[in-house]
Amino acid sequence: MGRGYMGKILTVDLSNGEFREEAIPDEIYEKYLSGLGLAAYLLYDRIPKGADPLGPENILGFVSGLLTGTGSLFAGRWMVAGKSPLTGTWGDANCGGSFSPAIKRCGYDGIFFEGASDRPVYLYVDSRKAELKDASHLWGKDTVETEELLQEKYGPGARIAVIGPAGEKLSLISGISNDKGRIAARSGLGAVMGSKKLKAMVLNGKKRIRPFDQKAVHKLSRTCNKWVRFQVPLGPSIITALLGTLLRILPTAMAMDGLIYKMILRQWGTGGLNQMSPEWGDSPLMNWKGSNVDWPLKKSKSADPDLIKKSEYVKYHCYSCPLGCGGKCSMTGKYAETHKPEYESVLALGGLCMNEDTDSLFYLNEILNRAGMDTISAGATVAWAMECFEKGILTREDTDGLDLSWGNTSAMVSLIHKMIDRDGIGDILADGSRIAAQKIGRGSDLYTVHAGGQEPAMHDGRQDPGFAIHYSVEPAPGRHTIGAQLYYEMFQLWKKVKDIPKKWPFQIYHKNSKYKASKEHALSAASCSKYMNVVNGSGLCMFGTFLGVTRTPTFDWLNAATGWNKKPEDYMEIGERIQTLKQAFNIKHGIDPRANRLSDRALGLPPQAEGANKGRSVLIEQMMEAYWKEFGWDASTGRPTGETLARLGISAHF
Amino acid sequence: MPYTITDDCTGCAACVRVCPTQAISGQKKELHRIDEDLCIECGACGRICPGSAVKNQFGNLCIMIKRSQWKRPVVDSNSCMSCSICIDACPTHCLAMSDARGPKDPHGSPFLKDEKACIGCGFCESECPVAAITMVVPAPRKEAAPARPAKKAVQ
Repeated sequence: MGRGYMGKILTVDLSNGEFREEAIPDEIYEKYLSGLGLAAYLLYDRIPKGADPLGPENILGFVSGLLTGTGSLFAGRWMVAGKSPLTGTWGDANCGGSFSPAIKRCGYDGIFFEGASDRPVYLYVDSRKAELKDASHLWGKDTVETEELLQEKYGPGARIAVIGPAGEKLSLISGISNDKGRIAARSGLGAVMGSKKLKAMVLNGKKRIRPFDQKAVHKLSRTCNKWVRFQVPLGPSIITALLGTLLRILPTAMAMDGLIYKMILRQWGTGGLNQMSPEWGDSPLMNWKGSNVDWPLKKSKSADPDLIKKSEYVKYHCYSCPLGCGGKCSMTGKYAETHKPEYESVLALGGLCMNEDTDSLFYLNEILNRAGMDTISAGATVAWAMECFEKGILTREDTDGLDLSWGNTSAMVSLIHKMIDRDGIGDILADGSRIAAQKIGRGSDLYTVHAGGQEPAMHDGRQDPGFAIHYSVEPAPGRHTIGAQLYYEMFQLWKKVKDIPKKWPFQIYHKNSKYKASKEHALSAASCSKYMNVVNGSGLCMFGTFLGVTRTPTFDWLNAATGWNKKPEDYMEIGERIQTLKQAFNIKHGIDPRANRLSDRALGLPPQAEGANKGRSVLIEQMMEAYWKEFGWDASTGRPTGETLARLGISAHF
Repeated sequence: MPYTITDDCTGCAACVRVCPTQAISGQKKELHRIDEDLCIECGACGRICPGSAVKNQFGNLCIMIKRSQWKRPVVDSNSCMSCSICIDACPTHCLAMSDARGPKDPHGSPFLKDEKACIGCGFCESECPVAAITMVVPAPRKEAAPARPAKKAVQ
């Protein structure tokens, strides 16, 4: 009888080709869970102070989740962690697909890479052995080609994670791909893999993953599945768009029940929001300076969810996911198929750049996936370059003759090809907008929108200030997958956890109340962070948890899989510990948390003059302070206090 | 507890060939052994051993079953969630995901792609949270069905 986790990690020293297997004591899992919690515990200790993110001292960890393979649903996420070269902070990226259980089937909860190889290599692991193999024949190949070649060699059971040319060329907005285009894209960790000359990982283990009580886990999964199956046909996608318009016009908002979002995901995938989001001000447009006025339904029609769904020939499910929000799409032209472009990719490459060409969304999505480059950061960087072009900071001379007017699709395609190849202007843009602005100067930094160097996702803090808070306060800044006021409503944590604000589904409130820098909002944001640390330690998918903590029973699954008898509050404390540890990681590496504050424009400073978010601004300083206070960190600096570290059992390395 | 091989082993190596994790080693015609770290308790060695020389994890002797009589997974696509847990659980990778079930149901279903590779371990069945997989002995093939008794009955 097991406890869900494998109890071991593998460390590979790429400098000398040595392998080290380490047993992890049970009490570490009880304090940090597995997944990102385990990674935070190890990397906080082991990455030396001031390490160069692209140097051999940085450690890159691939971790699976505690619930992965135990029979729970939504547990197919694998995560990569290390010191981010994009932000210099704690960096992590999260990805679905089939790679997560493969880590555990090799007998490990995580595989960590130290040092750097002097020639391209890939790691092969099965139940018997781990080997580093020559990857010079794979270097330069895109993610899909590489995966196909390795799959052919190792058979259908091999699970493969790989970087593309962007990671090889150390683009700071590159990620790591599996399943031919699902990418752990954020924080620039593809470049860390590239700097270590590690092209790929091939996992082919067959070990069994043993939960404490599989019957109990399955019972909980069956109840959860009933909620996933509960589906009302939502009609044509124009209904979602018009709902967005209605949400914009009404002076009041309504607390969301995640069941509704689940139905949208089941029908269209994340793309269900493609038209709705710009309508109600959730999606930034025109490099965050535009609004729904610039992107009316006539234009957003280019990303009509029904239109995109037309080319989907089968739904794509990550491991252990009953929902299937992804899709495989057929394409004409150079590539025959692609993963259905996700909401983030569509809006970053569409509305943010004012690009109305549907075919280009598919094409750009595929080439970025193949290059292993983050679609969010790539789209945001192009949008920034377009604004610089509009303002005359960049001219055709700078752009190698490209006319970077808003919405010029062919110029966008050429520019993104250049970014992938690091050719001409593309070389400057391949590291994201902050670094590009530093290189170009001439006041171009005024138009960058980032938090700590990372471009935020396509969710506007001026519509939901919760996003602005998390972009600014998370140890990996600029992340949209931790919390928001909307997420807090959907997690429904108050049903399980004591002493946190209640927000009943369909509860109506005035929109203005969202912008108050209140203790309630700080407590909600802190709860989201704590909970998502538990979710990321478990390897669960955020979309699954949107169903609410009673329908997607995270805490109960954890107890059934491990045999522990922890209360929801105990798990929230684990989440608090992981968050504090990641913040301590940043302090150790000399990061000033205040410097990760989101750019003014995205906070409504000054407020927009028209559109859905007209007149709105976020009281970010007050909110950041209140959030830090909730964690027992110094409210003025964001540094965890000695008292808090001692309470959570974390040793201070600073 | 892994499977073990008893002294009755004749070293025929049938188990070596069927073991999906290459956990069994030994010289031909000599006593074989199972590496306990690699054994995943799939039971294939016990089902194939002609000398009943394999004990399961509970210490009971396994009985040889003709390979054509080994159970195979049958998927109930109505209750299947398309979550691919079974595909991942299969140690021989004989399951694969189909294309969309139909125009109204765009999700795929797992199916037995490589029937010959299936070792009847039943991991797909036991790991499926919604019991959408049942292990059944395959029906005899039509051409192999004994026709004679039926004819007699008619006469």
